[in-house]
Amino acid sequence: MSLALSTLIFEWRRYMAAVIALAVAGLLVLSLVGMFMGIGKTFSATIDRSPAHLMVLPPDSEGFGGATQPRRNIPALFQHPEVVEVQPYTVRWAMWSNFPAAGQPAKRDGVQTIVVDPVKGAVTMPNDFNEDVIMALQEPYTVVIDQSSLAKLGVKVGDKATMNGRTVTVRATVANYPSLFNAMVFTSRQTAKLLNLADEGPRVGSLLVKVADPARTDQVVEELNSMGKGQYKAWTRAQLSEKNQEAMFKESFIVIILGFMLLVGIFIGVVITWQTLQGAILANIKEFASLRALGVSMGALNLIIMELSFWVGIAGLGMTAILLMGVNALAGAFNLTMYYPLWSILTIGAMLLTIAVLSGLLSLGVLKKSQPADLLR
Amino acid sequence: MSEKLAIDAKGLSKGYKIGKTKQQVLKDVDFNAYHGQVTMVMGPSGSGKSTLIAALSGLMKPDEGEVIALGESLWKKKKSKIDQFRLDHCGFIFQGFNLFPALNATQQVEQVLKYCKASKTEARRRAIAALEEVGLGHRLKQTPAALSGGEKQRVAIARALSKNPQLLFADEPTSALDSVSGQVVIKLLHRAAKEHGAAVICVTHDPRLEAYADRIIHMEDGKILDDRQITPLT
Repeated sequence: MSLALSTLIFEWRRYMAAVIALAVAGLLVLSLVGMFMGIGKTFSATIDRSPAHLMVLPPDSEGFGGATQPRRNIPALFQHPEVVEVQPYTVRWAMWSNFPAAGQPAKRDGVQTIVVDPVKGAVTMPNDFNEDVIMALQEPYTVVIDQSSLAKLGVKVGDKATMNGRTVTVRATVANYPSLFNAMVFTSRQTAKLLNLADEGPRVGSLLVKVADPARTDQVVEELNSMGKGQYKAWTRAQLSEKNQEAMFKESFIVIILGFMLLVGIFIGVVITWQTLQGAILANIKEFASLRALGVSMGALNLIIMELSFWVGIAGLGMTAILLMGVNALAGAFNLTMYYPLWSILTIGAMLLTIAVLSGLLSLGVLKKSQPADLLR
Repeated sequence: MSEKLAIDAKGLSKGYKIGKTKQQVLKDVDFNAYHGQVTMVMGPSGSGKSTLIAALSGLMKPDEGEVIALGESLWKKKKSKIDQFRLDHCGFIFQGFNLFPALNATQQVEQVLKYCKASKTEARRRAIAALEEVGLGHRLKQTPAALSGGEKQRVAIARALSKNPQLLFADEPTSALDSVSGQVVIKLLHRAAKEHGAAVICVTHDPRLEAYADRIIHMEDGKILDDRQITPLT
């Protein structure tokens, strides 16, 4: 084991401030990215778990949003021989109210109603809905909500509530569809019509499309886009997911918050790591000076410090991972979805190592104090 | 063994600026030392003995004078070449042992040998041999915290000796040690001179060490006052 690594392990308490500073810097940025991406994921949970192979959006749409396109695009898509199913993805706002127990105030809230076709394998039916849920949705005036929304909406399975003034029954619950803002309520297309929530007008939102051979999705997307001549734009699920993430980071307030946290993280990381490294080097300065006396060059001592700072960076990364697990557990307890794309993990990893190495470079000046002549009092 | 000149210094002068005044610490000192001999440099504090060995060993450039070490003019070399010279030929033992707290006795010695281009196995072999030579064969895996003062100094000696130095500089090597440990250390330095042929230059206050000296030099006020050859040169 090298001198740098042995020293870090043996004197870990001395380096703890630097390791924690790096971990906090990493955690600060990564947990924010995780939270924002998690919110994004929540919004697209129904898309991510849809059996659709591709999505068709209005031509100028930069992601899965509220833009609409002409309903006539549906038959146009069937001109491609490999398209086997096309359905609009329908989301409508509704006002929810429970029937409170005597003496309790009613819980009223806006909800997102997501319209599905209660048939196994339907393009609008999320692939993690089980048989019981599908059967429950087949009954008119029934709804299914996420487990985590029960308390928020003031109901339990079997309870009745009103949506836009009409009575519905909560027949089942699903998991992993938490919503930070408005709860998601799933209904069948028939129930949506009964609640006046299914719009049969000339415009539709995004279209969910199934193709005959999923392995040919990429080619079908290309062919549809060329057939459409700019009337619509087809996306693979991966493209759309990527675009959604990009769109998330185009929101200026997110960029400002993240940029600010990044600067704060780097500043805290560099200053604390630099000062800690300096202190630790000074504590061993006589040992370094004795190596100098024995003829070890300053360059070689610099390398020891740089290696030490690298290992401090690695320890900081390890600590970030541990703290992040804690943050995830906490988020889980509050039904908050956290999602860390690979690029964010790689970026933060590189950022922490850069901070550590930069701090090491800044600390090299202290080594100049390792004048062996000073050891000869 | 017939003694050969190891170090020959002429006209060494060194002064330090303290505030606005300059204090002369070495005043035109001539000094030499031979292979196979223990040369003790004694004198009161501030007499210039530590500055003398710093100038002789390439650690501090004198204001004036020349040092011929192993036939080479030391201070005419570039800084990096002086480092290389010390790495190749010099051993140092200080009053403080200056051992890395994280490394065990073997690793302390190996650490230096690594820079002497010794392979891993060669460094391990030489480190163990050096530690056995100083009587620490049973303490190879101990870190400094588990070693006594005398043992720590012996590790420092093993670290210096493992390079097979031709010049061995010791600065008050027994000051922090009890008399028994001090005796062990000076015997090891004596052995380094007699068995390895190193020129041992030892700065000390300790009069008990005189018994092991081949030559005793007394300094005061930056000058050599007395130079006694105890063991005649052959």
